[in-house]
Amino acid sequence: MQKVIERILNLLAFLLTVNRPVSADEIRNTVAGYDRDSDTAFHRTFERDKALLRRLGIPIEREATDVFEVEFGYVVDNEQYALADPGLSDEERVALSLAVQAVGFGGRPFGQEALMKLGGGAGGTEGTQLGADLGEQADAVATAFAAISERRILAFDYRGAPRRVRPYGLVHRRGHWYLVASEAATGTIKVFRLDRASALATKQERNEFTPPDGFSPAEWVLRDPWDAGEESTVATVRFDREVAWIAERELGSRASITPGSDGSIEAEIEVAAPSAFIGWLIGFGDQAEIIGPDDLRAQLVSLVSAI
Amino acid sequence: MTNSPKTAARINRLLAMLPWVIANPGVHVDEVCRRFGYTRSDLVKDLNTVFVCGLPGYGPGDLMDASIDDDEVTVEMADYFSRPLRLTAAEALGILASAKAVQSSGLGGEALDRAVAKLEETLIPGAGDAVVVDLPEPPLVGMLRTAADEGAVVRIDHTSIASGVGKVRDIEPWSVFTTLGNWYVSGFCRSAVAERVFRIDRIRTAEATGERFTPDRTKRETSIRYTPGDDDVHATIRLGEAARWVAEYYPVEVEADGSEGMTIRMSAGDAAVIARLLVRLGHSATLVDGEAVAAATENLRARILERYSDAPQSD
Repeated sequence: MQKVIERILNLLAFLLTVNRPVSADEIRNTVAGYDRDSDTAFHRTFERDKALLRRLGIPIEREATDVFEVEFGYVVDNEQYALADPGLSDEERVALSLAVQAVGFGGRPFGQEALMKLGGGAGGTEGTQLGADLGEQADAVATAFAAISERRILAFDYRGAPRRVRPYGLVHRRGHWYLVASEAATGTIKVFRLDRASALATKQERNEFTPPDGFSPAEWVLRDPWDAGEESTVATVRFDREVAWIAERELGSRASITPGSDGSIEAEIEVAAPSAFIGWLIGFGDQAEIIGPDDLRAQLVSLVSAI
Repeated sequence: MTNSPKTAARINRLLAMLPWVIANPGVHVDEVCRRFGYTRSDLVKDLNTVFVCGLPGYGPGDLMDASIDDDEVTVEMADYFSRPLRLTAAEALGILASAKAVQSSGLGGEALDRAVAKLEETLIPGAGDAVVVDLPEPPLVGMLRTAADEGAVVRIDHTSIASGVGKVRDIEPWSVFTTLGNWYVSGFCRSAVAERVFRIDRIRTAEATGERFTPDRTKRETSIRYTPGDDDVHATIRLGEAARWVAEYYPVEVEADGSEGMTIRMSAGDAAVIARLLVRLGHSATLVDGEAVAAATENLRARILERYSDAPQSD
């Protein structure tokens, strides 16, 4: 490992100072640590080193070494290499360090490397274990994030169909990551659940679009499953004493609640997607009852009667 | 010889440490270690590596200069490493989403708010709302977390999702965590004399009993897994087109997937859990096999229909 690290540091120092594309041959003959005897050995090592640099986020590009494009070489753009410094104070670094310790992606902390690049943890105190996990889809979410920040078109497969979108935002809600995007072909805003998307790929060109002014991705991701629908009605539901507190907690301020004398409650809830709403209500078994409207009540009875 | 993730991690740390030391010459060795998570000997090793690397020619004037003198760290002749490496998309998202999760849970503070604003301005300029993490903490999460840290026994009034019935239990909370949008507390349930995981939004009240236990740090769960038990019930269910989401949403085994729909096998600790799902799916799912589940489903249907058998009641 020692030799690899020395070679990589030498390679990177060379690429950051040479300011022009350099061919693999020139690198082989100039940078300390490369094999000058065996072609195969050199190429294998050099390929691995390039892959490692790219994995670290170092923007190593292949470009023509002259205007005739006869020979190609490698170049690292100094401006692209460097971090755009957000200018964090140590106090802010400590806050971020605690956040990174508290939150995981698929059981692993995610963000420690970023914190180092931003100037380190600035304090070794152990933070509160928030115990929050943002899911297994770290790679897909990161790809979508890259597309959003660089304003590139994003392509992926979703429920068996290929999609091309202008990605506007990412929302983590109710345990899932959602991508809010406008379809490249139609301009329609759509919401995609990222764990159902596969083969995410960003297109080459940057700055392909500008999100609409004041666009707020969070508003496109439903709070409750029964929010989806064209027209909404107000349902009145009685929740028995045993479960009234659960309903109250889940509905929060989104329902208007009248307490009954026996500990039960009557809740008025706006419903746009009746079947999703009834599905949720059945979770309360026979401890909840739709009082009105009649057609919603009838819809529940017909669902439950199905044999 | 491969370039292992360990090599990548070491180079990553080196490229982060160098700019900071270059910008703060003569900084104390302990400060560098604390900031970048080094042991002193690892730092010495990395500085020795830096010392033998540099620009082509590789003579005294070409190599970087790195030293620890009187516990003061200095790196010179390394201008090309004076700026930190940019963040990868994964790193940027990781730190931003982690910070936003803490903000959303209400545990952040002013310093975190400022840090998030600065990160957004540099990472996604002009699109501050592009990453949203919605992770509200239900009541009692903070209280249970403190109890887990301090080893306080807690009496909870918990309503099981399966039965809808509340039960008072004394638990030794081990850890509090959130996954897939719900908060959980895991621990030893003194009433059941067994390890249990409870959904916190189903805990109505919680109070410390005053008793203590010794927290076992190794038992900090951060994920919820279905662990099969001897008393589990099983069901084979045929899903119609409108019910296919069930196979994505729940941990099930897909037995067949063809033109007549999908057949899945599901297990649960309580038949009522699967019964609720079946009632909810109506015509779009059929129970193929599973006696206990069949009985529970019939029972649930009957109870709900009984409740709806009269005209709507109103006060």
